[in-house]
Amino acid sequence: MTEAGHPHHPHLHVPGEPTVPPPGEPLLELVDVTRSYGEEVVVHALREVSLRILPGDFVSIVGPSGSGKSTMLGLLGCLDQPTSGEVWIGGECATRLPEIERTKLRGRTIGFVFQQFHLIPHLSALGNVETALLYRGLRPKERHELAMDALEEVGLGHRHDHRPVQMSGGEQQRVALARAIVGHPLMVLADEPTGALDTKNAANVMDIFARLRSPERAIVIVTHDLGVADAADRKVSMRDGRIVADERRRETAPEPASS
Amino acid sequence: MRNVRDLLGVALGGLAARKVRTALILLGPIVGVSMIVAAVGLTSSAKGDLQAKLRQLGTNLVECQASSAFGSQDPRLPEDVVDRAMALPLVEQVAPVLDLQGVLTLPYPEARTYYEAFPVPVLAVDTTLPEVLNVPMLSGRWLDRFDLEDPTRAAVIGRDLAAEYNYLQGEARTIELNGIEYGVVGVLDSVELVSTFNTAVFISFGAAEDDFVEDIEPNRFYARATPGYEQMVNNAMPDAISLGGSDDAECAVPSDLLAAQAQTDTTLRTIVTVMGGLALLVGAIGIANVMTISVIQRSSEIGIRRALGHTRGTIAWQFLVEAVVIGVLGGALGAGVGVGALWIGVEIKGWVFTLDPGVIVLGMGSALVMSVVAGIYPSMKAARLEPLETLRLG
Repeated sequence: MTEAGHPHHPHLHVPGEPTVPPPGEPLLELVDVTRSYGEEVVVHALREVSLRILPGDFVSIVGPSGSGKSTMLGLLGCLDQPTSGEVWIGGECATRLPEIERTKLRGRTIGFVFQQFHLIPHLSALGNVETALLYRGLRPKERHELAMDALEEVGLGHRHDHRPVQMSGGEQQRVALARAIVGHPLMVLADEPTGALDTKNAANVMDIFARLRSPERAIVIVTHDLGVADAADRKVSMRDGRIVADERRRETAPEPASS
Repeated sequence: MRNVRDLLGVALGGLAARKVRTALILLGPIVGVSMIVAAVGLTSSAKGDLQAKLRQLGTNLVECQASSAFGSQDPRLPEDVVDRAMALPLVEQVAPVLDLQGVLTLPYPEARTYYEAFPVPVLAVDTTLPEVLNVPMLSGRWLDRFDLEDPTRAAVIGRDLAAEYNYLQGEARTIELNGIEYGVVGVLDSVELVSTFNTAVFISFGAAEDDFVEDIEPNRFYARATPGYEQMVNNAMPDAISLGGSDDAECAVPSDLLAAQAQTDTTLRTIVTVMGGLALLVGAIGIANVMTISVIQRSSEIGIRRALGHTRGTIAWQFLVEAVVIGVLGGALGAGVGVGALWIGVEIKGWVFTLDPGVIVLGMGSALVMSVVAGIYPSMKAARLEPLETLRLG
């Protein structure tokens, strides 16, 4: 495995930064994962699903309501535990880890983008991005530099001191994107990232997603929007808790994003 | 260490972002601690001057009087009582006194009627009394060995008597003792432990023998014991000085009475301290309440922090540190307000500012403990929140 270095500040290293698996090895893998809810009346949200996410993948997960997308998202993001089966992240079996270790693994390896942005309202854009780097042994100055870089990457360096309430929906989502990538995760996991945006802002956000692609990092977007889904290289379709199609439109991973 | 700093930064940021809410929760510890500090301080300060005097006077003075156990009207101690008393270990100094009976003291002849009705005590003393009592001269001098060896008609008067006589400092003045003129050579400052001395006239044993009595055996004396051993000396003294048995003398420690007076009013202090404690308790409930509501309001923030890799422990600590900051800040502000209120009260009443620093430590400590206890439930509640439930995916 190779160490993921910081593209703009080679001297800066985020403690606990994940290592990228060798080519051909998955970043994340679901192995026969089932997720059921309820005891008396059992609902199977996911049934024996297996999925491999490779470095450089840009995947969209689509499907109608109730198809199991959200459950899949929770499991991919280590926010939930499967009823049976295993979730492997970066060579570690997340399912078998104690909760505290699973949480740390999630923080190191996965960046989240949500439909409702979920920015912390009393913090500035910079403060929100820095939140992803807390408790990782960084000095405030180092954290500040990394967060500013991430904001620059999404084109919001000039608005670093603005609070969410002072920003448009598109800008808030870009701050959320900066927060998702600042720790250099193996995978960015987005839940309907354009769902709360108008067409123009949605296109802008999708452009940024396209720019964020790199051979080391995977991007997974869960969406209803077929337009958004078509922007991805690989489309995973779900129905009734199962993967019914897994189409790969491009075979090669993209070149690293230029600064 | 950096993680602790991060935690403190997050907690302070959370409190600073909600200034009104933070100010409201701070009210509980502020009111509680300020009440405790002010209540204890005020009740102590009310008696602070007495306590200060006690410290100045010392509590190691023993007073012994000849007892009238056998019905004598004018009981006396042995002639060599000073030597007997000094023979006791732990006795450092002794000053004998004889109360002269039937000596009429007049500042001027026309005042006879008044002073016959309200006689002034006249005491025969030696040179050691002010030193043993630890009382300085207000003006002039005390009786010296020349007054004793070749008895002169020199008198020292007590502070209150000097005021009553309108005696001016350094004034050449005589007073009449049974019609005999005595020159006033000095004024003794206030004697807290023996208040009758403030209105008394002091003359030498020799002068008393020349002018008023045949036998000058003292009927009482004052002894300074080694500090801390006054009770032992007090108990041993009657046997040491008596001729016919311990019933011949009665001894006491005068500061005991003053110490009893100087005791703070514990009932009042307890009531107000309990009220302060109740205010702290109500404050604690307030903190728990507001923080629990805050956890619900901030569930989205907690969810995103959890998604970003902050552990349950970190989330719990974040809220617990907020509670600690509230306790420390509220306690410090409460102590400040309490000291301020105490200072104002003391200034108004003219008391001596008396406050045991331990009360401030106790008040601030109580606020801290109360805040931490109040913060435990909300912290646990925050830590138990599942990110999946708060982030509403899909």
